[in-house]
Amino acid sequence: MKNNALWIILQRLRIPLIVIIVTYSISILGMVLIPGLDDKGNIYHLTFFDAFYFISYTASTIGFGETPYAFTYEQRLWVLVCIYLTVIGWFYAIGALVSIISDKTLKQELTKSRFRRRVNRLKSDFIIVLGYNHVNSQAIKKLVAAGLNVVLVDKSEDKINGFLLEDYSKSVPVLVGDALLTETLESAGIHKSNCKAVVAHFFKEDKNLRIAILTKFLNSNVKVITKATMNETMTSLLDTDIAKVENPFEIFAKRFDIALSSPHILVLENWIYKNADLTDEAVFLPKGRYIICGYGRLGKLLKEKLDKHDLDYVIIEERLRGDSKMLSEGRYIRANADDKEVLKESGIESASVLVAGTQNDIDNISILLTARKINPDIYVIARENTMKEVSIFEATKANWLFMIEQILINKTSLQLSQPLKHCFLKRILYKDEQWASSLVNLLKVQLGDNPRLLNMTITEKRAFAIYTAIENGETVTIDMLLKSLEDWTKYHKALPLFLKRGDEEILLPSNEALQLGDQLLFACDEESREEIELIASNIYDLHYVSTGEEKKNWLLEKIFG
Amino acid sequence: MNLQKVISGFFFILAMTLNFGFFYGDMSNLELHSTYELFAALVISLIATALKIGDKTQIGSVLLASSLVADMQLIAAVVVWTVIEYTSGMTPAHMATVVSLSGGAFLANMTSVILYIGETLKSKR
Repeated sequence: MKNNALWIILQRLRIPLIVIIVTYSISILGMVLIPGLDDKGNIYHLTFFDAFYFISYTASTIGFGETPYAFTYEQRLWVLVCIYLTVIGWFYAIGALVSIISDKTLKQELTKSRFRRRVNRLKSDFIIVLGYNHVNSQAIKKLVAAGLNVVLVDKSEDKINGFLLEDYSKSVPVLVGDALLTETLESAGIHKSNCKAVVAHFFKEDKNLRIAILTKFLNSNVKVITKATMNETMTSLLDTDIAKVENPFEIFAKRFDIALSSPHILVLENWIYKNADLTDEAVFLPKGRYIICGYGRLGKLLKEKLDKHDLDYVIIEERLRGDSKMLSEGRYIRANADDKEVLKESGIESASVLVAGTQNDIDNISILLTARKINPDIYVIARENTMKEVSIFEATKANWLFMIEQILINKTSLQLSQPLKHCFLKRILYKDEQWASSLVNLLKVQLGDNPRLLNMTITEKRAFAIYTAIENGETVTIDMLLKSLEDWTKYHKALPLFLKRGDEEILLPSNEALQLGDQLLFACDEESREEIELIASNIYDLHYVSTGEEKKNWLLEKIFG
Repeated sequence: MNLQKVISGFFFILAMTLNFGFFYGDMSNLELHSTYELFAALVISLIATALKIGDKTQIGSVLLASSLVADMQLIAAVVVWTVIEYTSGMTPAHMATVVSLSGGAFLANMTSVILYIGETLKSKR
């Protein structure tokens, strides 16, 4: 049975109840059996009702006095016994009840059942977040801001209490429990059809794997969004078929690769993530010699990319022995990178880019500072492992910060709250520099440095006019949405970026005819956003931009026409 | 031997036998039905109920339900008796009502004893 709280109370109440019943019945029976004298001196026996009445107010220490007649000494002797017996029994029972109410297990059960009720009441899609760490807390913040329902589970009560102090926590049901147990996942509503995703970013990656496997067996329609930095975990996770795995190192290496070949794509990406506007050229890597400090997960991936682009580089790593090919080419220095002499040996004076990419945040900062002292113009990529040091890292003014947690936060929240933008980003990653730079220039010329983005889905609710027009068999093209409401021969400034129709994805759609359920992404400014929304939802405006005439009101037409 | 089983079995069966003792005899004859026996039947029935509380098994819930029925019937009998006694005075017709109420409680008690025996026979220990 689901409701454990009630059973805990009932089981604990057994003994107190029996104690009350027994003490009452002994006292009542005694009162009935002992003969008394009425006001005329006749012998009488109390009835059961009299006795029950008398004991009830005596046991609860109310004490209305002796009824129906004054008691004899024999009766009073027995009343003495009754008083001690029943009052003690009564107090014991009340004490037991109070201790049950303040009992910790009972409290936990009560919060658990309250949590289950709140989860069951969620009618729209929701996301289960497992573990309250920095990444998840920021992701929750963004998801809640985007209007999605979130359920949070964490093992530690302190962390949950910390979460409850946040102002966005009100709408989030929380549970203290071990996320690795089936029972916890079930309480969190994983079986429900409106549960869309499970987010797990545990530091220990086998935990993430375990959650992915559990979720697959509990409800294979749920996506698992998780991270993995080790190859074995990564493959196992992908084998579950339902996991969307984020490997921050690979994500960054991919960015590095793109930055080397087509940096404008990254400009677009940063703009969509709202990290920077379109003029930001921080990701434009200079050509020249690259120095990579740290040859771990990150260093190895970066080396592959540098090899691919045939660039000159040197790696500095203290703990690993480099392979002979790299040593013979003079591309590997086994030393501590946080050392002036070592950096000089690596040729930092003439190098153009330095990657401070060790596992230790303080080492990275120290390398950065030393390098800047020797070569003030060097471009620095700094790796930041935890968000605790974020202000220090910002103060160092590294040209490009690789923040593992920030990447996870952005990825997770964007793919859950803005799936259309996520699809768009995935598509543009395969485009070339020419395409990207012309798009960036077009956006900058037409809409300024920081255009807004507008999502639109052709549904009855979001785009009533277009929906009804298509229902009636009319053709509505994207072009119509771009026309100005002041003059239909002119266009406003918005730019269609992306069209998603089922599995079909079209970048920069030109004059496609719209279908029901299409998802559109526009770049626009405040004014053109308004125009698009008006055209989409107002039948008069849609009629005007498609024909150039005012739509006539049928009633007025009948009267005047 | 399980002491807990002995105690609970004792109370379940005692509740039934006491109830039967009160119920047995000409319905409308006041002298054949003792108040003390009804009192004892009610008290033991309440204790039996308390013993059944909190058992999460399927059979436990049915046992608790039957016991609650018996309590309800007996309490109704007691209330009817008290009210009649202090208002119009006891008549054979009213006595029949009280006794038949206890008869219903007796059936409920019997159900719970049969279930209890059935569960015991099924148990491998």
